[in-house]
Amino acid sequence: MKARSILRTAGSAALLLAAATALCGVLYPLAVTGVAQAAFPRQAGGSIIEVDGVAWGSDLVGQPFADDDHLWGRVSGAEARTFRADDGTPLLWYAPANESPATDGFAARVAERVAAVRAAHPDQGDAPVPSDLVTTSGSGFDPHISPAAAEYQVGRLSAATGRSPEEVRAIIAACTEQPLLGVVGEPRVNVLRVNLMLDGVL
Amino acid sequence: MMALTAAGAALGSSMAAVAAGAGSVASCALGAGPAAAAGAASAGSVGLAVSGVAVNAGLGAAAGAAGTAGAGLAASGAAGTASSALAATGAGVGAGAWGADAGLALVEAAAGVALLVALAVPLSAYLVNVMEGRRTAAARVLGPVERAAFRLVRVSPDDAMDWRRFLVAALALTLIGAAALMALLMGQGALPLNPEGVAGLPLATAFNVAVSFATNTDWQAVAGESSLSYLSQMAGLAVQNFVSPAIGIAVAFALMRGLTGAGGSAVGNLFADVIRAILYLLLPLALIGALVGVAEGTPQTLEGYQTVQLVEPVAVDADGNVVDADDPAAVEEVTSAVVPLGPQASQVSIKQLGTNGGGFNGANSASALENPTPLTNALQCLAILLIPLTLVLCLGRMANDRRQGRALMAAVLVLLAVAVAAIVLAEAQATPQLAQGGAVYLGGEGQSAGNMEGKETRIGVGASAVWAAFTTAASNGSVNATMEGLTPGGALVPLTLMGLGEVVGGGAGTGLVGLLGFAVLTVFIASLMVGRTPEYLGKKIGPVEMRMAVLTVVSPALVILAGAAALCLLPGGAAAVGERGAAGFSELLYGAVSAGANNGSAMGGLDANATVVNVVLGLEMLAGRLLPMAAALALAGSLAARESVSAGAGTLSTASPLFVFLLLVIIVLVGALTLLPALALGPAAELLAAY
Repeated sequence: MKARSILRTAGSAALLLAAATALCGVLYPLAVTGVAQAAFPRQAGGSIIEVDGVAWGSDLVGQPFADDDHLWGRVSGAEARTFRADDGTPLLWYAPANESPATDGFAARVAERVAAVRAAHPDQGDAPVPSDLVTTSGSGFDPHISPAAAEYQVGRLSAATGRSPEEVRAIIAACTEQPLLGVVGEPRVNVLRVNLMLDGVL
Repeated sequence: MMALTAAGAALGSSMAAVAAGAGSVASCALGAGPAAAAGAASAGSVGLAVSGVAVNAGLGAAAGAAGTAGAGLAASGAAGTASSALAATGAGVGAGAWGADAGLALVEAAAGVALLVALAVPLSAYLVNVMEGRRTAAARVLGPVERAAFRLVRVSPDDAMDWRRFLVAALALTLIGAAALMALLMGQGALPLNPEGVAGLPLATAFNVAVSFATNTDWQAVAGESSLSYLSQMAGLAVQNFVSPAIGIAVAFALMRGLTGAGGSAVGNLFADVIRAILYLLLPLALIGALVGVAEGTPQTLEGYQTVQLVEPVAVDADGNVVDADDPAAVEEVTSAVVPLGPQASQVSIKQLGTNGGGFNGANSASALENPTPLTNALQCLAILLIPLTLVLCLGRMANDRRQGRALMAAVLVLLAVAVAAIVLAEAQATPQLAQGGAVYLGGEGQSAGNMEGKETRIGVGASAVWAAFTTAASNGSVNATMEGLTPGGALVPLTLMGLGEVVGGGAGTGLVGLLGFAVLTVFIASLMVGRTPEYLGKKIGPVEMRMAVLTVVSPALVILAGAAALCLLPGGAAAVGERGAAGFSELLYGAVSAGANNGSAMGGLDANATVVNVVLGLEMLAGRLLPMAAALALAGSLAARESVSAGAGTLSTASPLFVFLLLVIIVLVGALTLLPALALGPAAELLAAY
């Protein structure tokens, strides 16, 4: 091919890239943003749980819980290195652990977690610990826990909050979502919502 | 005869080069981890023997059933047969030792594949009409936009290019796109739509990310939520999420035109193809997906990130790690957390449809922000394979012989069924390290059964495993669970699928190109065995075609092995891995495979932002994209110039079950020859050492 022809082709490529940027990179996201803000403002804004002007978190971002009177979630990937507020104070964010489940180090960490969970739940004795409580999630901030893992904690929550086991179970049930059409996805308990209800915030 | 000899020599020398590449990877890995190799050699407990036999028996049954289904599909055209085999396997599994969850996952995967094929049938008819410039109902709305785009870019769809011009145009669009994206990423700190005030990316990182998205790889060297501005995401990465699959689709159509045209040198107009693929296919589908995503909970806003109050404040040490409140290393209490927002929904839909896979966030679709519900998970999982499978059926329509597309589809579905069954069963088994001798409950009562490590509760083990197979069957690379968290047996599946050259669906366009390369190779070898003249779709396969088909097929493997060897040998490459021994080699090999195959999924343990990793993988992505593309276009040009000959008694039928079987054998053979040695040192050694 002649140099002039190559230049002409490159010119068309650059023009096409500019047009694609205008259409797919500006118009398309702005159109979706417009529709989203009008039709689904809560979801578009991050599904924030706001009570009396205080933003307590998002339905979609789990938080680390370790207190006796709170439902515990998946093993958190929380860290405070990535984000800082305008005033310089660190903000919590999350990263997945990216761990192979077939190493000795992993076995040791799981054993440690099992021991800690069992120590905090004497009423469960030697019952097997539901896997969600001792594994990390794909994101590091899984907002949910399995119904089995929530049920495992009912005795502790009841003792620590002074609520009856039935009350605790009712709160868990209110924050449980079922699989789509009964088969797609898993039943799941939103941990942050349960804890806000246990605290009387929600 | 001379022609055949020359082509055979080309094949032989390419294979020798690949074998040499594999050898160098093998030897360097042996040098790096003798302990791992020794561990692998000594492993052989009763547990392994028992579970190994069980897995093999199950897989054998699955493969046998799927094979029968594939042949039936090719012969009768019953599109759902392969997936019903998978469903039958699922039902069997559900009743067997793996439990109901694995069975349900397989049945759901089968239903999903059946739905995809059902969608691909009409969508392939529509896409062929669009790309060949025929009238469609959509043209009433989009026609004026299309004509305006043609005027703006100064091209005419009737200005058919020969393969060299087509290649130059594809190269120009890819390289100019990468350069513009690199400039945007480096300058994002000074540009608008940057509410979090992120700085420009350093040179090596910007090079890697720009190349990654322009080559449809979407390997993520940095986490988007902390390193990229909204402008970089929507006007940079998302634009390549549209343009790069459109280029792939254009190249696939050029090759199909070469195969099915009636002589002449023209293979189409790249710019017209790209414009049509974006306007008529990618943009409408992306718009629908984005609106469903946002309705389900994916953020879509230009406002900055939200700060929220933590219910339980946490203590952190000087390095920002969370520690116990009474830990002496604790230096600070953190009371607030961040919720990253941005125009996410519009990007997530095209990341899946265009086989891109690069997430808005580092956690990709494992993040509940990008993938909030089981519905979004199912739709995204299907979107991954929609366009690759549609393109396979486009071949039959272009050839005016739909059996040709069905035959290729049968081969794809057989491989997909085996891969899905293997990974679902592996993940349902978990590992002894997780089971803790029964102290950890791994059953399915009130939770998802199996290996939950690295997986999300709302998605569960089965759907995560199916996704891992889909995302590496297609050259997508998005994840809804960590690849590192897979069991060693499960991790073999994505590596194998990528290593087979991404022909099980593969990238938008590039997958079909690879598959056609294998088809040409199969025709040649099969015809040679029985002394017939090699022909495919009425075109004679000569030495030029053979050379280019072999290049198309083996160049990704060459690039992968060269990249893996470079990472092993370069100072700093081996230092970037997170685990030692065989697991570390798996991470490194996974990175090299992912980049060379333009997949983009990662085993997160590898420090993807180390300079040497950025540069080696960046070059690998470019070579892994452009070499097969050039070879495929040369093949297209050479085929286009050949007159069509009518099939005679001596012609091997390429729509028969026999051909599907031969094609499968060739795909598996080439894949095994190129990657087995390297696989043996990483995941296979890990698998043996784990038990």
